[in-house]
Amino acid sequence: MPELSLEKVSFSYDSSFSLQNINMSIPEKGFLSLIGPNGSGKTTLLKIMSGLIKPKSGTVRLGHDHINELGARELAKQIAVISSDQYFEFPFPVETIISMGRFPHLSKLQQLDQNDLEIVEKALHITQTTHLKNRPISQLSSGERQRVLIARTIAQQTPFLMLDEPNTHLDIKHQISIFRLLQELNKNHNMSIVIVLHDLTAAATFSQTVALLDRGKLLTIGLPQEVITSENIKTVYGVNVEIYPSLSGEFPQVNYFQTDS
Amino acid sequence: MKIGWKLLFLLLATLLLSLAALFVGPVSDPSWTIIWKIRFPRIILAIIVGCGLAGAGAVLQGVLRNPLADPFILGTSGAATAGVILASILGFQHYSVIYFLALGSALFSILIVYKIAYINGRAPIQTIVLAGVIVGLFCNAMVFIFFSIFYQESFSILYYLLGTLTEGDMTRIAISGTIVAAGLTTTWFMSRELNILTQGEDNAFHLGVEVETTKRLLFIMASTMVAGAVAVAGMIGFVGLVVPHMMRIIVGPDHRVLIPASALGGAIFLLIADALARTLLPPLEIPVGALTALVGSPYFVYLLRKKRHTGEF
Repeated sequence: MPELSLEKVSFSYDSSFSLQNINMSIPEKGFLSLIGPNGSGKTTLLKIMSGLIKPKSGTVRLGHDHINELGARELAKQIAVISSDQYFEFPFPVETIISMGRFPHLSKLQQLDQNDLEIVEKALHITQTTHLKNRPISQLSSGERQRVLIARTIAQQTPFLMLDEPNTHLDIKHQISIFRLLQELNKNHNMSIVIVLHDLTAAATFSQTVALLDRGKLLTIGLPQEVITSENIKTVYGVNVEIYPSLSGEFPQVNYFQTDS
Repeated sequence: MKIGWKLLFLLLATLLLSLAALFVGPVSDPSWTIIWKIRFPRIILAIIVGCGLAGAGAVLQGVLRNPLADPFILGTSGAATAGVILASILGFQHYSVIYFLALGSALFSILIVYKIAYINGRAPIQTIVLAGVIVGLFCNAMVFIFFSIFYQESFSILYYLLGTLTEGDMTRIAISGTIVAAGLTTTWFMSRELNILTQGEDNAFHLGVEVETTKRLLFIMASTMVAGAVAVAGMIGFVGLVVPHMMRIIVGPDHRVLIPASALGGAIFLLIADALARTLLPPLEIPVGALTALVGSPYFVYLLRKKRHTGEF
C-alpha cells in the first residue's frame, strides 16, 4: 500500500478562509477522523487529500507520485471517496451504481467481465444490499443509499476510502451499521479510512487516530483520548464539555448538554 | 434481452411510420413524383432532425443533470438558427460556412448558459432554465432584427424560423444526416462516462472520469447534433425535452440504451407531428415546430411540477 502524506499544505478560497501549513501522513490501514468546528477546513482538507482540489502551496504525495499529477483514472484506483454531495435523481438500479466502481479498472470500451461481476456481487454481500440489487437508487432510504455508496467504493477496490460525514441524516441504528461496516472494511479488507465527523463520541469510538482542526490549522493529531480532551474542546469549539471514559474504558465519551458554557 | 426487444420495437415503429407517412398528405391521391420528390426527402428529414434533437436532449439532460435541458429551452437551437441566418445574410452560400456558424454559435450558447447557471459546481434547475431562456431570447432578438431588415417579405424564412421540414436540398439533408449520425455515435461511445457524470461531477472524478474533458466533448457533440438539425429544419422545440423523458420511463436511465432509444423516439415523434402538420388543415400546412410546442409546453409544466414533488427524473 502506498503512503499518503501531506507536506506544508496551504489553501484558501478568496481571502476569507484558509488551510495553513498542514503536515500529516495518513496512517497505513488506519482509521483517521477529521474533527473541528464548522468552517475549520475539514471538508477542504479531505478534498485536497483525495486530489479533487489542488493546494495553493505544498504537496500531497501518494507513494512516490504527486497526487495532482495523477490522472482521474489512476487516482480512482487508489482513493475512493463518498462526498457529502450525492445525486440520486436518475433511477439507476443499485447494481449499475455499484458497477460504476469498476470504471477505473476498465479500458475505454472494455465490458464488465465475470471477475468484475463477482466483485460487484461481493460488494453487495458485504454491505448486505443484495436484496436491493434491482431497485432504483432513487427509491431507497438514506440508510440504504449510504450502504450502496459504500458498496460502490468496495467494488472500486482501493487502498484508501475517504468519507465526508456519511452519518448525517441517519438514525442511530443506521449510523451504527455504517460505522460497523467501515470498521469491517478497515480490519478485514485492509482499507485505510479517513472520515470527516461532527460527532465527537463517534470519532472517539471508531477511530484509531483523530485530527483536530481549528480555523484552518491542524491543532493536534493523535489517539482519541489524547485529542478529545475538555481543554482541547474548550479551546477549539469554545464550549465546556464533560469527558469521561466509556463503560469499557476504551474510549472517551463527550457530554455536551449538562454543562454550563 | 428485454431492453433489446424495446429498441427493436422502436426501430420497427420508425420504419413502419416512415412507410405510412409516404402516403399521408394534403394530396389524397399522390403521384409517384410527389411521393419520391417531396414526401420521401421529408421523411428522411424528420428522422434526421428527430434523432438529432432528441439525442442532443438526452445527452444534455445527463451532463447538466437536469430533466428540463432541451436544445430549444436552453437557447441552443436559437443560437444555431442565428448562425444559419447570419451565414445567409453575409452572403455565404457554401455549406461549410453555414454549418460552421451554426455549430459555433450553438456551442457558444451552451457554454454561456453553463457559465451563467453554475455556481460552485451546481446548477439549480431554475437557474439553468432561466439562463437558457435569456440566451434564447437574445438569439431570437438577433434573428428577428436580421429578419426585419433583410427578409421582410420572405414567408419561407418565417416558416424556417418556426421550424419546418420542407428543406428540399438533398446535399444539405445528407450533410445534416452525417453530422447527426456522427454525434450520436460519439456520444453513444461515451455513455458509460455520461452515466457516471449523472452522479455529480466531483463523484465522477473520484470514480475515474476526466470530468472537464468529457463534459467539453459531450457539449461539442450535443451542439453538433443541434446544429445539424437546425441547419435543415429551424427551431423545432421540445423534441429534446419530451422524448428523452418518455424514453427514460420506458428503457431506464442507462445512456447506452437511452441515447439510441431517444434517437428513434425523436424520429417517431417528428414523423407523427409532421404527418399531422400536413393533414390537419388541408390544403394549408402548419409549421411542425408550432405543433411540437403545443405538445411540449404542457409537458414542460408537468415535468417542472413532478420534479418538485418526487425529485426523480
